Amino acid sequence: MTDFRRGLLASLPLAPGVAAFGLLYGMMARQVGFRPWETVAMSVLVHAGSAQFTALGMWGVAGAAQIVLTTLVINLRHLLMGASIAPYLRGLHPLRKALLALWMSDESYALAIAEYERGRGSHGYFLGANSGVYVVWAVSGLLGALLGMAIPDPARYGLDLVFPLAFLGLMMAFVRDRIGAAVAVTAAVLALLGFYWLPGKWYVLVAGLLGSGLGVVLEEVSEPCKTS
Amino acid sequence: MQNLLVFIGMAAVTFFTRYAMIAALGREMPPLVQRWLRYVPAAVLAALVAPAGLAPNGRLQLGTNVWAMVVGLFIAWRTRNVLWTILSGMATFWLVRALGL
Repeated sequence: MTDFRRGLLASLPLAPGVAAFGLLYGMMARQVGFRPWETVAMSVLVHAGSAQFTALGMWGVAGAAQIVLTTLVINLRHLLMGASIAPYLRGLHPLRKALLALWMSDESYALAIAEYERGRGSHGYFLGANSGVYVVWAVSGLLGALLGMAIPDPARYGLDLVFPLAFLGLMMAFVRDRIGAAVAVTAAVLALLGFYWLPGKWYVLVAGLLGSGLGVVLEEVSEPCKTS
Repeated sequence: MQNLLVFIGMAAVTFFTRYAMIAALGREMPPLVQRWLRYVPAAVLAALVAPAGLAPNGRLQLGTNVWAMVVGLFIAWRTRNVLWTILSGMATFWLVRALGL
């Protein structure tokens, strides 16, 4: 099996979660007044769930510049994800890097970096995971727009738990020792606090930076003799 | 047409956030940065998990979702397998709800 297909298949367990939110997005987009093709165009072009939901909430209320700026801020967390996956993409042609970055969602990032970490990762796998999430997101958005109001809330079926459960499973690849566990627990607590007190998705960036910073500090403290 | 222009603007800034660091960190990094980057995935994934699992509707929710996340955490720890983690968590969600706990 090619790496691309492995990545594509690996994204399948997340598909119910992606599709549930895709349907919801499509339905909301119609309520905002999008035509079906516009609903799909936004997914195909932007491919960023949280930002798209937020944009729908602002549509007609806020100006274009404000919506674009908010999208930027919500997606700043991808800087951190990009930084951590960059070492694995070193030496790749800039166009190939751009292709991999284009559809990097939270979900496919998590799938790809866990696989790189386990030594089985490849750019084909990364692209496959990206593509799987991308297609499911776009198609389910279209279905949501066409089906309209007939869609129930994903939370009723627990489908909103697919993402956190998947991330939990993928996170374990990085919880190798006590420091890794401390990093994860700290980031989780900070994220919950930030979720309440910070706007938008800032909590991912802040908890990600502080949690990973703590990892380096703990490493220094526990191995003071080790020269870097 | 105007909507399409906004989509393109959103797409451009989104691509920027995804590509910027991948493009910028193209060369060998200083050791300290390398060590820091090794801890980023654990921190980022934990930061995505906690609010989504414990406050799925935007508010802290201590119900069926917590059972699902606790079982999911245990299975994730033991198996390190995504599919089993999702299946066990979802099964727990359904079971606990069916039992009306």
